[in-house]
Amino acid sequence: MDGKRYWNPIIETLPRERLQQIELKRFRELLRWAKESSPFYKRKLRGIEPEDIRTMEDVAKVPMTEKDELRAAQEGKEPYLYGDLLAVPPERLSVFHQTSGTTGRPVYFPDTYESWQWVVEVWCYILYGAGFRPQDRLFLPFAYNVYIAFWQGHYAAEKLGCEVVPGGALDTQGRIQKAKEVRATALMNTPTYGLHLAEVAKEMGIDPRRDLEVKKMICAGEPMPEPTRLRMEELWGADVYDHIGGTEVGGWGGMCSEKKGMHVIEPHYLLEMVDLETMSKSVPPGTKGVTVITPLCRRCIPLIRFNLKDVMLVMEKPCPCGRTSIRVDEIGGRVDDLRKIRGVFFTPAIVEEVLRSQFPEVTEFETVLTQEGVMPVLALRVEFDPSIGESQWKELRGRIRERLKVRSNLTFEIDVVKPGGLPRYTLKSARFKDLTKR
Amino acid sequence: MEYDLRAMDREIKLIEQSVGRLRELGGGIEVVERNADSILAFTYLLKRSISDILE
Repeated sequence: MDGKRYWNPIIETLPRERLQQIELKRFRELLRWAKESSPFYKRKLRGIEPEDIRTMEDVAKVPMTEKDELRAAQEGKEPYLYGDLLAVPPERLSVFHQTSGTTGRPVYFPDTYESWQWVVEVWCYILYGAGFRPQDRLFLPFAYNVYIAFWQGHYAAEKLGCEVVPGGALDTQGRIQKAKEVRATALMNTPTYGLHLAEVAKEMGIDPRRDLEVKKMICAGEPMPEPTRLRMEELWGADVYDHIGGTEVGGWGGMCSEKKGMHVIEPHYLLEMVDLETMSKSVPPGTKGVTVITPLCRRCIPLIRFNLKDVMLVMEKPCPCGRTSIRVDEIGGRVDDLRKIRGVFFTPAIVEEVLRSQFPEVTEFETVLTQEGVMPVLALRVEFDPSIGESQWKELRGRIRERLKVRSNLTFEIDVVKPGGLPRYTLKSARFKDLTKR
Repeated sequence: MEYDLRAMDREIKLIEQSVGRLRELGGGIEVVERNADSILAFTYLLKRSISDILE
């Protein structure tokens, strides 16, 4: 590192009170813009006067925006693809992205040149906070396609002055060879693919710690529980950083060198944490809540109080790094994945946490929820490292069942799958399958 | 380190004014229009990053 800590020391160390003032001012400006320019918000915000929004309590009176509303506002509406969400003339658009469609029909998100530069700018905070500097050669082992995260990372790294090497049209082995050939010092990938890359590298006789020069990694595309992050650091011998973001809102938070939670990129975003049950009352720091976010400066498709449906908590103590922004801990997974099983709240994030922190023998896994009669059944399919002999499977299976029981209060049926038997993912992983919905 | 935000804000505004004048001189030719748009996208970011911090 070069001794400079912040991408923007003026903003990143502002007193919290001032940050909030700016955020409220920007929120009012965004409301005004959205009411004037977006047909969707013209309807949705009828009766809301931007000038009345003076406090965070006032912000909570503005209706939230849900993903299903975005789909409905686009489907069958003009202008084609973007419908009622678009707040600029279509000829001003210069970039296209879309959501992955994991939870339904994809939502299309374009940007103007200006709004795209803003999206890239907020990612500069993320990369700079994670220690990316002009000396870095960043390799992105992905075909970015129509998904935003890696494009943001690519352009933000370029803006920071890093040398960016795209690794799209290669298979996994080819990507490892390319990272070695160019002596990449940094990688950006999904956590799942970072694990897979390390696994394949070993099969090729390449030890990522010894034979590659990767010293930092930024992860995108899916949540990364702390045990997974630590495992990646161990496998790669690199500093591994997480970030939070999405197509709809851009990258809104990132880890600093302390690696404890993620800093919200304030005052570019306004973050709220609302009560899990009522979905209206805000919760205090230290309490789990559902994350609601407003990107304050992206005017192409404005989004106001977007319900991310992610369960997180705001950390209570200020960060030793000196940034004054709110820090969040991504702890609870997706609201959509929460299930009540035999009276117990279950989130699949627990399985990953237990396996990655306590069972290095597990290379891949999948949790499947089924139903026998009226009784829900949780099954875990695990794949062990090829070095683990079949004679050890029974003991391992027993220990995994026991640890999961302790952590979740639920009993799992555990099946061992032969090495390579479970799917590998490059983008969003789908390790939880709820077959009771069929 | 202390930053002279007012002076920085003045310079940002000067860039914007200068781009406006360049546009007039360009008379609508694409090379000026598109590059002027690009410059203004970056002054927008500078305003959000510097000017907005002023009380």
